[in-house]
Amino acid sequence: MFNNKRLFILLITLVMFIVLMGFSLGPRKALTWPENFLRDTTGFVQNLFYKPAGYIAGFFEDIGNLKDLAQENERLKILAAQYARDKAQYNFIESENVRLEKLNKFTKAQENMYKYEYHVAQVLGITTEPGNSTLVINLGSKDGVKLNMSVISDKGLVGVVSQVSNFTSTVKLMTMMDVNDPNSQPAIAATAIEKVNSTFGMIERYDPETKKLIMNRIPPGDPIKPGDEIISSGIGGLYPRGLVIGKVDSVDVGEFGLTSSAVITPAAEFEDWKELIVVYTEERVE
Amino acid sequence: MKMRRSILILLLFLLSILETTILPWIIPDAWQTRIVPNLVFIVILFVTVYHHRHTALVLGLTFGMLHDVIFYGRILGAHSFTMGLSAYLIGLVFQIPRAPLPMMLSVVLLGSLLADSMLFGIYNVFNLNQQPYSWAIMYHMLPTMLFHFAMALLLYVPLRRQLEYLKKETLKEDNA
Repeated sequence: MFNNKRLFILLITLVMFIVLMGFSLGPRKALTWPENFLRDTTGFVQNLFYKPAGYIAGFFEDIGNLKDLAQENERLKILAAQYARDKAQYNFIESENVRLEKLNKFTKAQENMYKYEYHVAQVLGITTEPGNSTLVINLGSKDGVKLNMSVISDKGLVGVVSQVSNFTSTVKLMTMMDVNDPNSQPAIAATAIEKVNSTFGMIERYDPETKKLIMNRIPPGDPIKPGDEIISSGIGGLYPRGLVIGKVDSVDVGEFGLTSSAVITPAAEFEDWKELIVVYTEERVE
Repeated sequence: MKMRRSILILLLFLLSILETTILPWIIPDAWQTRIVPNLVFIVILFVTVYHHRHTALVLGLTFGMLHDVIFYGRILGAHSFTMGLSAYLIGLVFQIPRAPLPMMLSVVLLGSLLADSMLFGIYNVFNLNQQPYSWAIMYHMLPTMLFHFAMALLLYVPLRRQLEYLKKETLKEDNA
C-alpha cells in the first residue's frame, strides 16, 4: 500500500505537525502576518453571516419570551428603583474615596488601578468543541485589545482574549480553564460579595463533566457558604476587580485536607451571544 | 476550465463560515457543546470517496488549518492534521467512485468517529483534556456522528452531482 517515497513524505509531515503543535502550544506574544491576514479576512466574511442570523434567531426567541414580558418588566422596575438608591449612595462613597486618596497621597498608578474601560464587541463566530471552545470578536489590536484581557457578557465572566490580530481577536472561554494546560487562562483570584475582606480562593479549572468551575485554596475558617455570589477580587492584577463569576454550589474539604474547595455554577451561559464586553485594563508592570 | 474546482473550494469556504456562524444559532443551546458540526469534513469525505484521496488530503490540511488559525485557543495544526489524515486514510480504504448511498453514509459515520478520536488523541498527548475516552464518546462524538449522518443525507444529491461534473472536467482536461 505504501511505497518508500510516500512513507517518507508521510513521516516528514507527521514530524512537521508535531513540531508545529508543540511550537504553538507555548505562550505567543504576536501572530505572524499570514495568520493575521487569514483571521482578518475570514472575520470580515463571518461578520456578514453571524449578525443577521443572530437577529433572525433573536426574533423567534423574542416571540417565545413574549408572555414573560410583564413579569420581567415588574422585576426590572424594582431593580431600577434599587439602582437609583444605590447610585446616590455610590456617589457619596466615591467622593469620599477620592478625598481619602488625595489625603493619603496615592500615586497616579494607584489611582488608576481600578479604572476600567468597557468596550462592546460583536461576536463573529463560535466553536463549542469540548477540546477547544473559543469565539471570535470584532475588536483587534487596532482597537487596543491586548492579550489576556477579560471578556464579559451581561451575566458574568465569559473568557479571556487568547490571540489578537489586527481587526479580530479570539476569546478562550472559561470552559477551557485547566491547570495542566501550560497555555491556559491563569487562575482567577476570587472572593464573595459582602465577604470581600474575609473570603479568598483561586478559581483554577472547569469541569466539563459537571459543567462547574472549581475554586481551590480557600483558607480554613473562611465564611464561604453555598449561595454566595463569587466575584473576581483583582488581586494579582490580571483580572479586573468585581467581575461576576458565579454562585457557590457546595463547599468541601480540598485534596490535602488543609484548604477547602468550592464548586461554582458559572453565571454566564456558554451559548450564543450577539455582543460581549471587553474590559480594558491599565497597562501595568507585573 | 477550472470552474468546478473553484466552485468546490468556494463551497467549502462557505460551509466553514456557516458552521461557526449560522449553525450555533440553529443547534439548541443544550446540545451546543455536544454537537460539534464539521460540514467541511463531510464534503471532504465525499471528495475522498468519489474523487481522489490526494485532493481530499490537501483540502483537509488547508481547511483544517483555516479553522485552527481562526479559532486559535490552544494549539495550531490539530484540526489540520486530523482532517487531512483521516480523509486520506478513509480514501485509502473506501475510494469507490460508484459507492451507493448507504455505503457513503456509513463512511461518514466512520470518518467522523475517526476524526474526533484522532483529535481526542492529540489533545491527550499534549495533556489538554482530563476526561476519559468513554466519556468523550458518549458526550460529544456520538451526537456529532449522528448530526453528520443527517447532514450527509441532506448533502448527498447536490454533492454527488457536483463531483460528477468535476470528474468530467478533469477527464476532459486529461484528454486535451
